[in-house]
Amino acid sequence: MTTHALEIARHDLLVERRAKETLTVVVPFGLAALIALPMAIGIDLPLISRIGPAAYWSTSLLFGMQIAWRNTVADTGPNRDLITLLGVSPVSRFWGRAIASAVLLVAFMFLLGVAAILLFSPQIPLTPWMLLIVLLFATGLAIVATLAADITSGLSGRSPLASVLVVPLALPLLVGAAQAVESLSRGSGILPWLLMLAAVEIVLAVAGTLAAKPLEEAAR
Amino acid sequence: MTKVRIVMALAAIVAAYGLYLAIAAPPEAVQRTYARILHIHAPSAWLAFLAFFVTAFGSIMWRVRRKPVWDRLAASSAEIGVLFTGLALVTGMIWGKPVWGVYFDWADARMASTALMFLVYLGYLALRRATPDPQLRAARASILGIVAVVQVPLVYFSVNLVRTLHQTPTIRPGGSPIHPAMLQALMVNLAAFTLIYIALLMGRMVVGRLEEEAASAFEPVAGAAVVPPRLNGAVDV
Repeated sequence: MTTHALEIARHDLLVERRAKETLTVVVPFGLAALIALPMAIGIDLPLISRIGPAAYWSTSLLFGMQIAWRNTVADTGPNRDLITLLGVSPVSRFWGRAIASAVLLVAFMFLLGVAAILLFSPQIPLTPWMLLIVLLFATGLAIVATLAADITSGLSGRSPLASVLVVPLALPLLVGAAQAVESLSRGSGILPWLLMLAAVEIVLAVAGTLAAKPLEEAAR
Repeated sequence: MTKVRIVMALAAIVAAYGLYLAIAAPPEAVQRTYARILHIHAPSAWLAFLAFFVTAFGSIMWRVRRKPVWDRLAASSAEIGVLFTGLALVTGMIWGKPVWGVYFDWADARMASTALMFLVYLGYLALRRATPDPQLRAARASILGIVAVVQVPLVYFSVNLVRTLHQTPTIRPGGSPIHPAMLQALMVNLAAFTLIYIALLMGRMVVGRLEEEAASAFEPVAGAAVVPPRLNGAVDV
């Protein structure tokens, strides 16, 4: 099962490398959002610096989730049938998609993070903890967005509908990640927030695993 | 529809009595008369929780039995749950402004998590509306209906898990700290809201069945495209 999931993830990343949808569409769109925010605020450098982390996490959530339902992984009926006939279980398929999206999300968030530091000059310590927070956030968002992508697969107006489903379910991740960074910059303990992120992640992972097979049936 | 009317009439009688008790109950020691809005707020919130559990139950039953009635139950209950959640949020805000000084306190775990729950179930209704095929709609919505219910206990226990502005549950095992007259008014209003929920649920399920029948009446049947050959000069009879 793990081999199948990793193989699907590898395939998705290969397709993405060729199509470059994330790099040419989602990343510029996210950067545009980061640039638009200070312009809307005006010339108030301390305020811009203070809201920098919030802008980063919101943009990562709102634009990052688009990665999970990029066109390059949109399942057509025959494609789905082929994967099923190859003996790949729906759970492997779900996790393969989620892993590929998580990898792309981490890359997206890294690029966005560099842009946010340059644009906002936020007062946050760049420690290895930041990497762990980004990893937890990206993985959780990838799982919930893959779940929403599967639930809305093949529907007209899929993108806004999936966003409506993902945003409320991913808000605990946003709160956990943002508060963890806030605690890091204050020098207080971040363990409760990391535990919260991990707990949300486990719930989402269990929900995704259990829903994979019924969703496979519902897509037919 | 007669049963619905009977339950609705019963709900109206109990609600009128509940309203009388809510007005007649003594004012709260600190919040004075503002506390009376809680006779609408608390039952709305409880009924929202119940409605979402019924949605999850209907979703589970649909997955087991695959009968449209269970999907109808889940959908109808979710719609009413969203209505009650909205009512709980609005009445909470109306109460919050004079008592807490703000309409919505972001630092309050109960308020934030209730708003989150409201959004999740709006998403559930949006998903249903976006899926035209009834079988597909039931299959996908049932998964979301089961997954989404996980947050309901978290919303309920949020006041115990995180110490925030919102008070901890007033009605708890081993006695309640509120005045007996207020408790009586609260319980009667809870009964009234439960009856309103049952009447709305029954009515919505009837409407849902009629909608399904109307939709299926216009579905093309197998062989509808096949027409008999027409000879020159033939007329329709």
